[in-house]
Amino acid sequence: MNMTLSHLIALLPLVIVCVTVIVVMLGIAWRRHHFVSATITTVGLNLALLSLLAVLPLAPIRVTPILLIDHYALLYMALMLIAALAATTLAHAYLEGFDDQKEEYYLLLGCSVLGGMTLVASDHLLSLFFGLELLSVPLYGMAAYAYRTRPSLESGIKYMVLSAAASAFLLFGMALLYAESGSLSFSALGASLYGDSAHQSWLSMGIGMMVIAMAFKLSLVPFHLWTADVYEGAPAPVSAFLATVSKVAVFALLMRLFMTAPVTGLASLHVVVSIIAFLSMLVGNLMALRQDNIKRLLGYSSIAHLGYLLTVVVASDDMALLTTGVYLITYVATTLATFGVVALISSPWRGSDVASLKYYRGLFWRRPYLAAVMTVMMLSLAGIPMTAGFIGKFYVIATGVEAGLWWLVAGVIIGSALGLYYYLRVMVMLYLHDDDPGGEQRYDAANDWVQRAGGIMVILLALAVLALGIYPQPMLQLVDAATMAVG
Amino acid sequence: MEIAFYLAALIAVFATFRVIMHTNAVHALLYLIISLLAVAVVFYALGAPFAAALEVIVYAGAIMVLFVFVVMMLNLGGQTAHHESSWLTPGIWKGPAVLAGLLLAILCFSLWYGGGIGSVGGDTLSAREVGMQMFGPYLLAVELAAMLLLAALIAASHVGRNEDTQLERDMNEARQRAPSGVDEEEA
Repeated sequence: MNMTLSHLIALLPLVIVCVTVIVVMLGIAWRRHHFVSATITTVGLNLALLSLLAVLPLAPIRVTPILLIDHYALLYMALMLIAALAATTLAHAYLEGFDDQKEEYYLLLGCSVLGGMTLVASDHLLSLFFGLELLSVPLYGMAAYAYRTRPSLESGIKYMVLSAAASAFLLFGMALLYAESGSLSFSALGASLYGDSAHQSWLSMGIGMMVIAMAFKLSLVPFHLWTADVYEGAPAPVSAFLATVSKVAVFALLMRLFMTAPVTGLASLHVVVSIIAFLSMLVGNLMALRQDNIKRLLGYSSIAHLGYLLTVVVASDDMALLTTGVYLITYVATTLATFGVVALISSPWRGSDVASLKYYRGLFWRRPYLAAVMTVMMLSLAGIPMTAGFIGKFYVIATGVEAGLWWLVAGVIIGSALGLYYYLRVMVMLYLHDDDPGGEQRYDAANDWVQRAGGIMVILLALAVLALGIYPQPMLQLVDAATMAVG
Repeated sequence: MEIAFYLAALIAVFATFRVIMHTNAVHALLYLIISLLAVAVVFYALGAPFAAALEVIVYAGAIMVLFVFVVMMLNLGGQTAHHESSWLTPGIWKGPAVLAGLLLAILCFSLWYGGGIGSVGGDTLSAREVGMQMFGPYLLAVELAAMLLLAALIAASHVGRNEDTQLERDMNEARQRAPSGVDEEEA
């Protein structure tokens, strides 16, 4: 297989991220400098984002048998790069006070984004596995980044052990599917499904194991046990990254798998995925009700959100792709800004994050703009109209209704009602009067947070969430154009 | 070749079971080496001698020996000599030795009767073909694997680093303070 210039251009985003990682690494080897490392990473990620424009006219293009760079992949690459940029700006402010080596964070972040970008462009089991590992291995290091504090180390180890188990499931599943079909590309998986019923049990076992592994990465019930602990223990910018980039990458991949691989047409698989989705909505929301730690609360709420989105996978029609794009964009914007506020209040690092809800009591009277951002985000997570979250939820319900998935639609509605309770609880906390003014001064954002990159980013995201909620047309057109050709 | 495949597979399963069930890390590692060797024989029987050789050299050879060394070194301390002598009793290496002997017998048997490299039911895959696949269509996978190793290395080196920040700073301070203290006393 010859590589032509257009293949190389198609790989440009991946290559730029690789080069960024290596430049930052060499820079560290020469002289450690936190600001320079963060700047190089930011510039590199921005260049990669710009290079997506250069790839756009070439798409769809297949680069070696394992990567398919199409509009769908480019859309999610852009989303992940933006999320990674946000995580970088948050991390820069956060790590300023970190009592250890700060620069490795950017290396790990770059590697992880590279894995995510591989994942969304893969329609081959080989790139799926490499992408997934490249996405998660740096995340172990990132979750355990502040490894001298116990929660962070614990979260890193938990994520590593359970993630390795999930990878083992994935490999077993892939081996079974390969043994049956003799090919590793998605379009050949289970091609014999409709001709030969003897293979059905192998196929269902293989794809079942793969779905288990992906459900683990998406923290869906019953594979969700790690979520709250990892979200709580990991440093706030890492939680932001974990909750956005890794979820987007794996979900986009899952969607592509369900749209292209014939093996996913198994009826039993759809029943299992429906059950997982329904349980995720209920369990995620019920567990979040009694949380007093905002990071844990967001962890459980992310379980519920991915559960809502899984409705789309069960439907697997043309509308499903549009809904996935819309929902993921709104979810990423909202989650990033929420974790952004948590990270800003916890910045610079002082040994632990400010995650307990009691520190958010009366935030409005101390930091009105930050509280306003948080309010908008809570409304968006709850899916209140005029915010981006509503558009996403609306599309999920529309997809469910169109595909006649009444149970799942009911789950989404019940889940939203439950969700309203705890999102509003956080909001009410923000506006209560502080009992002990001055007592919690330690737990507050830096005075000049608005002028910092992280603060600007959070405010922009809040505006974006409002703008998308009021005028979603451009986003819908973008996603529609990007997902037209898949499936 | 089929009998070799099934016997080696059985040994691999049994040895892995012993790895999981053992409470002593060194014993478990010895069984793990056997398990990897058995997997190498499985590869061999399937007609992939290159993968078999790599399995022996890389896993059973390099990685496992490293594991054993690290585990042994972690036990440094007053009881090291006692440990060493207790590890040399036959009870420990008997099980793995029997299994390894069995694998050797299988290998000799299949070489004798099978007439060289055979396979259970496919073609023999040579190193040349593996290389052509790897650096042909799957070139990007090799590159991605390189990045994956880099990421794992960075993560491991960050988390596994010595406690040199706070601790070393304290020690440096203490060191700086100590001579000056002495000077003052002398003065």
